[in-house]
Amino acid sequence: MSDMEATLEQNVDQSSDTEAAETDFQNSRLAEILIPIATAIGLLLVWQFGVRLFGVPEYIAPAPSDVAAEFVREFPLLLRNFWPTLYESVTGFLVGNLAAILIAIAFVHSRTVERAFFPIAVFINTIPILAIAPILVLIFGAGMTAKVVIAALICFFPTLVNMVRGLQAVSPQALELARILSASKTEVFWKMRLPSSLPFLFSALKIAATTCVIGAIVGEWIGADLGLGALIIDSTFNYRSSLLYATVFMSSGLSVILFATVSIAEKLVVRW
Amino acid sequence: MSVRSSARQMLENQNIATEDHSVAASLVDATVKFGNFTAIDKISLDIDAGDFWTILGPSGCGKSTLLRLVSDLIPAASGSLQVLGKSTEEARLAREFAFVFQDATLLPWRSALSNVELPLEIGRKRGVKIPVGDKTPKELLEMVGLKGRETALPHELSGGMRQRVAIARALVCQPKLLLMDEPFGALDEMTRDRLNLQILDIWRETGTTILFVTHSITEAVFLGQKILMLQAHPGRVKKIVDIELPEPREITVRETPKFNKYCGELRELLEEC
Repeated sequence: MSDMEATLEQNVDQSSDTEAAETDFQNSRLAEILIPIATAIGLLLVWQFGVRLFGVPEYIAPAPSDVAAEFVREFPLLLRNFWPTLYESVTGFLVGNLAAILIAIAFVHSRTVERAFFPIAVFINTIPILAIAPILVLIFGAGMTAKVVIAALICFFPTLVNMVRGLQAVSPQALELARILSASKTEVFWKMRLPSSLPFLFSALKIAATTCVIGAIVGEWIGADLGLGALIIDSTFNYRSSLLYATVFMSSGLSVILFATVSIAEKLVVRW
Repeated sequence: MSVRSSARQMLENQNIATEDHSVAASLVDATVKFGNFTAIDKISLDIDAGDFWTILGPSGCGKSTLLRLVSDLIPAASGSLQVLGKSTEEARLAREFAFVFQDATLLPWRSALSNVELPLEIGRKRGVKIPVGDKTPKELLEMVGLKGRETALPHELSGGMRQRVAIARALVCQPKLLLMDEPFGALDEMTRDRLNLQILDIWRETGTTILFVTHSITEAVFLGQKILMLQAHPGRVKKIVDIELPEPREITVRETPKFNKYCGELRELLEEC
């Protein structure tokens, strides 16, 4: 990738005829990357000097340098708590989305099933995840299962709604074409409905990639010894603010990794 | 319906089936209703095999409905209907006809070639014996001028190219009847002219029967050997006009007085509708 950019830049340098135009182009490309980075660095600096200037104690708001130092020092601890949350998030993601996809398929195939279960799905979705999490911990115990179920539940609804829309997104003319070709219902499903639902599915999966982490962490708040959620609670009650910030940073890192994975998968699958 | 009349109809059907294969489509008092609305009212029509018919008429006259009736997409409320001596359902299962829609209706995730191959993959479960045409999907793409674009996805092709892929797809089972519903309606004039010439070439080369719905008078006259003029509310046959122009038709024929005379006549007829 960076090699390619380098060669591109070389090419740009070689063709000196349209130098002015290309310098503008480079500037705008550079600006696109540099402006947000510079802004972020600026804000961090304001934070750093603000905290130092007003003598804010570390347990109320640690400086970025404190957080960075804590991140490095406690990295083994963070990593030990990272793995369970990753496992719960990913398993919840897989279970929740798979259930949503299968139920969406059932909805599209049978209006009766949709009439019977859609209101229930909506009702479950209206219950705040924070309210239902303790119930699930009571049912499934303090182990990982409860967290997986919470993560799955939070992924479920957006994927269900998007998948139903995606499966119905086949144009009326495409369905007429299928009828003229005497296509069976199965053929229409595999050759038309399922592929046309993929762009819808992936936009739902991108939402789920970040919300499943929220689900796992909320689950860990209710009761867990290990996991980023447990570490958040632990460091809060022990006034270890730098560790708390480092954990939050780690959690958002997890979301970013999952989101990027789904985005890459989308690029590979949805090429139209 | 009485038993006797349906028995008579069966006899009639048999007669048509046994004696006459040179009729591509035959309608006797065919009527189509959508609820209380009569879209097509007792149309009787024989379309000889190998003919190129264009269908003209004001909006709401049932042009598209007529094609959908012939292609077994909608049922007739009354009257009888035969396609190549078979019921429309039998003709559909035998892949006797193919349909080209106004928009190309390609599957966006399939390449041009793979879109052309679609009819060969579908329908076996419903009892279709998929006929194998003389030309492979690749050769058909070449025939419509898309050699080298086999792997292109629909979004990488222009509107005219997409419609040509759709035509190649329609030809892949070598249909004896090609139904085209304003296939070039959404294209610019230059592309339209080019595709008009191309569809005439294809018609001559394949010997298929074509039913071509359009709302352009010049297109109807330029393409059709016969023009079926429909009137609206309810949809009925207004007139069938024979077009006699030198064959093979070339684009310059449109500047001849005879061509313009046809166009004038049809315009008057349309205004009466």
